[in-house]
Amino acid sequence: MTLRPLPLLAAAALVLAAACTPGTGGGGGGDGKSFEFWSFAAINQKTSTDAYRQKHPDVEVKLTEVGTSTETAQALTTALAGGKVPDLVLIQGDNLPKFVQQPQNFVDLRTLGADDIKGDYLDWVMKQSVAKDGEVIGVPTDVGGMAIAYRTDLFAAAQLPTDPAAASALWPTWDAFIETGKRYKQATGKAFIDNAATSVFYQAVNQVSEKYYSEGRELVYDRNPQVRAAFDLGVKAATAGITAGQTSFESAWSAGLAQGAYAAVAAPSWMLNTIRSTAPDTKGKWAIAKIPGGAGNWGGSYLAIPKRAKNPQAAWNYIKEMQSPQGQLDHFGRVGALPSTPSVYQDAKLTSLKDPFFTDAPTGKIYTDSLLGLKPFYIGPDSATIGQEFLNSITNVEQSGGNPATAWDDALRNIKTAIG
Amino acid sequence: MTSAVPRRRRHGRVRWWTYLLLVLAAVVCLFPLYWMFVVATTDTATATRMPPAVVPGGNFFHLLGLVLETVPFVQALLNSLFVATAIGAGQAVLCALAGFAFAKLDFRGRNVLFLVVVLTMTVPTQLSVIPQYLIMSWLGWVDTLQALVVPGLASAFGIFWMRQHITATIDDELVQAATIDGASTGQVFWRIAFPIVRPAAFVLGLFGFVTAWNDFLWPFIVLKTPERYTAQIAIKALQNSYDVDLGLAMSGSFLATAPLVVLFVVVGRRMVAGVLEGAFKG
Amino acid sequence: MSAVALTLVPTPRAAPPPPVRRRARGLGERVTPYAYIAPFFVLFAVFGLFPFAFTFYVALFDWNPIGDQVFIGVDNFVRMFGDPRFWNAARNTVSIWFLSTVPQLLIALLLAHVLNHARLRFALFFRMSVLVPYVTSVAATAIVFAQLFDRDYGLLNWLLGLVGVSPVDFVQSTAGSHVLIATMVTWRWFGYTTLLYLASLQSVPRAVFEAAAIDGAGPWQRFRHITVPSLRPVIIFTVVTSTIGGLQIFTEPLLIATGAPLTCGAVRQCQTLTLFLYEQGFGEFEFGYGSAVGVALFVMVVVIAAVNYLLAGRIRADR
Repeated sequence: MTLRPLPLLAAAALVLAAACTPGTGGGGGGDGKSFEFWSFAAINQKTSTDAYRQKHPDVEVKLTEVGTSTETAQALTTALAGGKVPDLVLIQGDNLPKFVQQPQNFVDLRTLGADDIKGDYLDWVMKQSVAKDGEVIGVPTDVGGMAIAYRTDLFAAAQLPTDPAAASALWPTWDAFIETGKRYKQATGKAFIDNAATSVFYQAVNQVSEKYYSEGRELVYDRNPQVRAAFDLGVKAATAGITAGQTSFESAWSAGLAQGAYAAVAAPSWMLNTIRSTAPDTKGKWAIAKIPGGAGNWGGSYLAIPKRAKNPQAAWNYIKEMQSPQGQLDHFGRVGALPSTPSVYQDAKLTSLKDPFFTDAPTGKIYTDSLLGLKPFYIGPDSATIGQEFLNSITNVEQSGGNPATAWDDALRNIKTAIG
Repeated sequence: MTSAVPRRRRHGRVRWWTYLLLVLAAVVCLFPLYWMFVVATTDTATATRMPPAVVPGGNFFHLLGLVLETVPFVQALLNSLFVATAIGAGQAVLCALAGFAFAKLDFRGRNVLFLVVVLTMTVPTQLSVIPQYLIMSWLGWVDTLQALVVPGLASAFGIFWMRQHITATIDDELVQAATIDGASTGQVFWRIAFPIVRPAAFVLGLFGFVTAWNDFLWPFIVLKTPERYTAQIAIKALQNSYDVDLGLAMSGSFLATAPLVVLFVVVGRRMVAGVLEGAFKG
Repeated sequence: MSAVALTLVPTPRAAPPPPVRRRARGLGERVTPYAYIAPFFVLFAVFGLFPFAFTFYVALFDWNPIGDQVFIGVDNFVRMFGDPRFWNAARNTVSIWFLSTVPQLLIALLLAHVLNHARLRFALFFRMSVLVPYVTSVAATAIVFAQLFDRDYGLLNWLLGLVGVSPVDFVQSTAGSHVLIATMVTWRWFGYTTLLYLASLQSVPRAVFEAAAIDGAGPWQRFRHITVPSLRPVIIFTVVTSTIGGLQIFTEPLLIATGAPLTCGAVRQCQTLTLFLYEQGFGEFEFGYGSAVGVALFVMVVVIAAVNYLLAGRIRADR
């Protein structure tokens, strides 16, 4: 079989022609009515853009689900550093501080009208996206809220109460939660929760009034007793033998969810969708109880417009409409994402929603209630890194045989290395 | 030791444990692909069941549909095909040209320049991804396929390989005869030398193709939008949701591997021969 | 590099007459050879050499890709040498490289010796099947192996459980993760390496083996005194190339710890230097620090490759 280079090159050229057709850049390129939108996966932005397109058939929205929230942030960074930027981008709350620190990369939304709508949002959520000199970088989309999702059938097998009010009464504090876990373990021999780092420490530390930075924006993570208390709770859960040792969102964690390897998991509102899609056969076997400590939030994202965007106005129109209180309420009705606009929290649509997958739990009410007790704390540029090192330290104790006695100091050391 | 006469015959016969060893090696090599196929035709629940499944199921087309919904996988395969073909063909031609020049043409600095080519193999380009990315952004090539193709065309090893081959298979007399007859260098190359070393160039192109198809780090950094993804990045993208679906990931993996395996079955003999011929005669 | 030595050994042919002087043929002809080699040099200069040199430059800055670039001299290097994450990544890199190279080359040597039989049936099948891993997608391999080696739901741990071994965590433990990555890399490359060795072996006349057998040499001695010495040049080549490649492993560590991909685990148990480079550059937005790591990795590659070249060169040559 002889192969001539010329036909080979010609074939390559043909493939080139075929490969080059789609992806020819942003939606519509500058006609002002269409825009390019980068989101991360599993956040249901497609439902939102579809609804928008239905109301505005002349607008073309080119939605790209880039990957995880971290990967979307990385892609945004490399795009901002050199290359094509989208017109609209969804940035997760943890990734936002680094971008807010460099506000020159984004359109100051006040120039498009952000001042008019700023007041619609929970103020501690809105505060996160405002830069040093007052530039508004992002508009909040949803918040997570916090609750405990648990398997009623597994609780029953361990002689634990299955009614949500009774279950919530079992664990008014985190210590009581850990004790319940020990009870469950003793009765069934199986793990109570998925892991200690995310389901215990991460939730407990989000209930504080001051986290890693003081209100004066100084680093206080190492001497803040609230942080220390949350960390100790995490270590306690890790060493109590009540966790399955499965890191959140890994494939083993998904498998464990489907197979009942653990009976309870700290679940913000968006995780309910995760449970639904990962464990479809467990429909009707879940219920939702209050989180220990009562209040909490995990998640929340923001929509931002990069400075070099070609269609900023079109992107802004989308934000104004879909993130208005009514827009967010409608989105909740469609996918269950919790609005960040408190004016709709009493709306019947929200309070009356019952989810059959979770034994008709009134998810809207439960999650908005969990937001009520939150005391806003300042999130700084290194908060995500600091939090990650604390998580790593607890995971180390839980899964890699780390020494619980030195876990706190190890974490501090790693944090100092990471943030200098 | 034992007597001479029986041993002479026994040395030719292959022992049973030799075959056992080889079968073991073949199983080790092929089992992961088989298992990939098993999961690609069932689903996550089956894959994570204990004891794990080892028999294929019938879920393939459903998962295939899901894969295509999640990422533009067909586009990704086409992108990979384009990039790998361009690099393979490009390397074959460019390395043959340069190899011919180093092997058969006399010019000032030939030996020194060849030494430089060889020395460039010591530069680990994987480490320079950050500046490479900056260069791409200055050229405006971020998130384009040419950012993958153009840097991939320079292969020092390919030049080395072609030079070795040309030296071994083309007589100087042949080149001289053509030159005396009035042929230009270009004609000597295209009409005489290249046809002779075409098989070797083809093998080089094949290896360039496979390497380019499987490249991960650079496409991962440079490509941004799903329409531009190569097959490798598309597989990674399938891993990306908050609910990892193994069936989905394996289905995509299978789709990205199958073309290469098919190609391999078709031209594998050549690749094996190519490796065996090597550049290391003696 | 060994390749240089191989280049300069001429292939035995009848001594050719000196090359025809073409300089009399005009400017076009004189330029042609340079035109033929120019594409490589241009491409390499732009996409190989310049970025490489630029890495050293960027390493002297605090370079935020979306912010400022501030010249800070050698501060990145000072910070790096005091950074326990750097040394952890360096240790991981060397460990993973060693675990994935040494068994691979030994297995390949053994297999090549065994495959080197005139009367082996199904030879082509065996040769093709050991090359299949080489053509398999790297990302797909990582996902498959990570699942097969999973602590709770993986096939391997299930098999180990059958013989009473408690589950091994091949991702969260340092040793386990190194073994997992080394297994993947070995799986991918051992077939290719085997064929490479086989190629060289096949140019050793059968008579040499037979003579040794008659002289009373057993299979192990034939291996040690004939096979290995005659493979010396190609062994050197594979040692050097797998050193260069093995110290730069990136994809496998990135894909096996899906919960913490950029650090390869909660305690960076399998983070290699290339992954650390990527994490700092594209994860933490610190291009300067990432480039400094790149410089350190380059030095490490050169040093270790040189050492290995010298060590491999001490194999006794053909008798």
